[in-house]
Amino acid sequence: MTHFHTTAQGIRVELSPEERLFLGDVLPLLAGIGVRGSDPAADRLTVPVYLDDPEANEEWWRLMGQDLEAGRQSDRAVFQKMVSSGEGPVLDDEEADAVLRVLNQARLALGARLGIDVEADHDELSEDSRQVMDYLGWIQEELTVELMRAL
Amino acid sequence: MTTQPTTPVIDPDTDETLDIDRPWQVVVWNDPVNTMSYVVYVFRKLFGYDELKATDLMLQVHHEGRAIVSDGPREQAEIDCFRLHNHGLWATVEQ
Repeated sequence: MTHFHTTAQGIRVELSPEERLFLGDVLPLLAGIGVRGSDPAADRLTVPVYLDDPEANEEWWRLMGQDLEAGRQSDRAVFQKMVSSGEGPVLDDEEADAVLRVLNQARLALGARLGIDVEADHDELSEDSRQVMDYLGWIQEELTVELMRAL
Repeated sequence: MTTQPTTPVIDPDTDETLDIDRPWQVVVWNDPVNTMSYVVYVFRKLFGYDELKATDLMLQVHHEGRAIVSDGPREQAEIDCFRLHNHGLWATVEQ
């Protein structure tokens, strides 16, 4: 079973009520991300752009940070709409891309908070944490494959 | 002590006018969470690379820790960096 099917109208999403409920929890997770320096998730989502030039880095984030955050909020609104819809919502390419970015962002945020610094750390996670990461990774992979077909 | 004028000597390593012409590079760094297929997808979508080039770059990131994915004027490099960050990849700008 796959959750995403390309149709003439767009990408149809098939999620069980339990999956919609579970994925709905992604949004409060992302909304609850703290500030740089106090939350590993925030640190991961605001990584430096200039490694050897702190001033240029601060300037980049000053100029681009708000647009980046606005884009993330817009993506989350699309994601919210998807998980709130009943059976079989259909996404256009832009909406599907937004959902993909939210899934990826959730995995990055969780991974940072769970202390995944190298790939082997994934094997050290608790069973519950690993299941969450694996499920989000599975859904993300399916959508990536579906979107890749359109390139 | 001499007061004779001298011809300035230009050190190519420190000549700032040369730096202006050097392209800025966008580097993507390895990440333990982003999946290989997702990174390939992002490279293809953002830069229009074919599957082979996108896969080669992804593998370079995975095995060597980083890869230069685009270069050009600083403004373009910063925009590319924005697009990569928007997709959750860790990208930096360097010259």
